[in-house]
Amino acid sequence: MAARWIETLTGSLEQKKQYKQDKARIDALPEPYGAAAKAVHRYLMYCGGMTDGDTLVTMFGDLADLWERAAIDGTPVREIVGDDPVEFAEAFARAYAGKQWIDKERARLTKAIEDAERKEEE
Amino acid sequence: MGKQITEMLKGTLEGLVLAILALRPAYGYEITARLREQGFSDIAEGTVYALLVRVEQRGLVDVEKVPSEKGPPRRVYSLNPSGQEYLDEFWRTWTFLAERLEQLHTEPAEGES
Repeated sequence: MAARWIETLTGSLEQKKQYKQDKARIDALPEPYGAAAKAVHRYLMYCGGMTDGDTLVTMFGDLADLWERAAIDGTPVREIVGDDPVEFAEAFARAYAGKQWIDKERARLTKAIEDAERKEEE
Repeated sequence: MGKQITEMLKGTLEGLVLAILALRPAYGYEITARLREQGFSDIAEGTVYALLVRVEQRGLVDVEKVPSEKGPPRRVYSLNPSGQEYLDEFWRTWTFLAERLEQLHTEPAEGES
């Protein structure tokens, strides 16, 4: 009961736990994978634009999977992120689109144009 | 590969990856390796990974987690009926586009005929 009350204030504790576990996996990566993964993680925090905790947790879990796999297979860092790491990080974040803050604005723009169009018809 | 192929691939990589999965289920690294074999040497594994995440979120593929000797389980992706439908549509679009481009390419320039 108490947990649920707290969660309405703080977001899901389960989510936080999962997030911390995934972050710990990223922190535990051997170099140079740790440095690369942390850099991507940081960028995603800035550009991801997620408001939804579930999506965020899924994304960081997948990120940890990707880099753990790379570290184990010994895949060169550059083969993971490609020539343009920014492009990579943004494509990665876009994969989780649908629940981003920008969606509200997209819906708003779409509706505004529809409303304008209706005035045209009147 | 130059800048042009990078740009063109953006619109077609999804279809390409789904077409590979239509042959048989595969995990991320296998898909990247097959693309490289076919001459797409600059494709980053992370790009394919992000794409697979995206098609998974859109419900075009099914994912099975297969335990691996070391590390996290490998995710094996397979095309599901929605994915097959999407792929069929992709090929129809592709054929249309390729035909139009070919026509423009082979059409004699004005003044030549």
